[in-house]
Amino acid sequence: METNLVVESIKFMFLGMGTVFLFLIIMIYFMGGMSNFVHRFFPEILVDTNSSVQSTQCIQSIQSIQNDQVDQKKIVAAITAAIKHHIES
Amino acid sequence: MKKIAIKFFLLLIFFGFNTLYASVASAEHYVDGVVATKVEIYQPKPISEMFGNFLKSTGVNALINPNPDELDSQGNKMSNFHKSWGRVIMILITFLLFYLAIAKGFEPLLLLPIGFGGLLANIPVANMAGPDGFLGIIYSMGLANQLFPILIFMGVGAMTDFGPLISNPKTALLGGAAQFGIFGTLVGAIMLAEYTPLFDFTLKQASAISIIGGADGPTSIFIATQLAPELLGAIAVASYSYMAMVPIIQPPIMRALTTDAERRIKMSTMRHVSRIEKIVFPIMVLVLAILVLPDSTSLIGAFMFGNFLKESGVVDRLSDTMQNALINIVTIFLGLAVGSKLASDQFLVAETLAILALGILAFSAGTAAGVIMAKIMNMFPGSKVNPLIGSAGVSAVPMAARVSNKVGMEYDRTNMLLVHAMGPNVAGVIGSAVAAGVLISIFK
Repeated sequence: METNLVVESIKFMFLGMGTVFLFLIIMIYFMGGMSNFVHRFFPEILVDTNSSVQSTQCIQSIQSIQNDQVDQKKIVAAITAAIKHHIES
Repeated sequence: MKKIAIKFFLLLIFFGFNTLYASVASAEHYVDGVVATKVEIYQPKPISEMFGNFLKSTGVNALINPNPDELDSQGNKMSNFHKSWGRVIMILITFLLFYLAIAKGFEPLLLLPIGFGGLLANIPVANMAGPDGFLGIIYSMGLANQLFPILIFMGVGAMTDFGPLISNPKTALLGGAAQFGIFGTLVGAIMLAEYTPLFDFTLKQASAISIIGGADGPTSIFIATQLAPELLGAIAVASYSYMAMVPIIQPPIMRALTTDAERRIKMSTMRHVSRIEKIVFPIMVLVLAILVLPDSTSLIGAFMFGNFLKESGVVDRLSDTMQNALINIVTIFLGLAVGSKLASDQFLVAETLAILALGILAFSAGTAAGVIMAKIMNMFPGSKVNPLIGSAGVSAVPMAARVSNKVGMEYDRTNMLLVHAMGPNVAGVIGSAVAAGVLISIFK
């Protein structure tokens, strides 16, 4: 019997997209639950929430994601400006 | 006095004889050795024959008159075209890769090692990509067994910050939708194989090609080595070149699918994510992967291991090594090993064109699916999502997120989307790892 590969590939598509979404949806709910749990039982004492702390955190997070150095400075500057703008507005 | 002189003379004779004997013995030995090799090499040859032999061993001759018995790296017969002009064309293609990497800045970290590996692999006579050549050894050391992509994933994990995703979890859906690039292309590749006489892809090959849509180099290589190693070179080159071309491929699609008002949507500020959340997150995702799809845990496990070390904050030395030294070393090896698959007989085939075409289709489909998903999410109540960050759902960290930010800024200079786009971006990495796991589990 000749199998129709196109039908087969469409089955793959439904299985694949289904699994990806299933996984991510479960992950979203677990993330929410985890965040609530952490905030309830291990609240973080934020000593200082002023702009400098936030912007350094953001810069750190961007730096860790960034691996090419060409645009890094530009982006850090852009983010800092964005945060400053946001806080001011 | 005479007595002493006689003694001295006798002594001299004794030692002299001994040394003489010893030197004669060693000389004989030496002569033996020379004689033995002399017979093999130093047969008197006329100068013309020596020059003739030298000319036969040059690369020029090997390209013009290929050796009919030469075998490719798998030990199969190669066609004369692949041994002669094919190699020249491939070497020119590697020069093109160098140009793109150096002058245009296309993923130079990978395209340069891949290009140079390809250059070395196409050298006639030397056979560096064969099982005994150094490229072949690197290939079997870490790529044939999928070790290098896993190590790269560890480094990528150590460089990733899940903060934006944790603070806005629903953006993960965008990273999921963009995986349509993978599965949509799979259907496309199979249709191409079934309904046109040009190409003939098996389901495994089609899956390996479509994973380019995950926009994730290590995942593409991981799947390609597992499902279709013969297409690895083309898939890796397509994957990395298109990742570099994300700023060219994505914006037209993003503009075509969004309205001006949608592009100006400002997203609410992110909440602060505590350190404990960031530490728990990798473990949580790994546990979910174990429960839902253990086949994906080799990729997700390595990814989360790197991230866990980084977020734990107590092993900065290890996380620093993963982010820098380890990933750099592995990148060199990975590039060379992939380059060894750019041998002319494997790359200069009709399938390569189809792979390049399907690859760009996969990227475009993933981008479009991400944007459309964001529009669907905006139909539901709740905080609005700027559809421009949907395109960041194809992994390509952090390039795709930067593109979202750039396009957003074109319409509203104060709209900073970069941090928001990092959420779908890192979710896209998880999504493509899950998609890879699904493909692996199908073909088990």
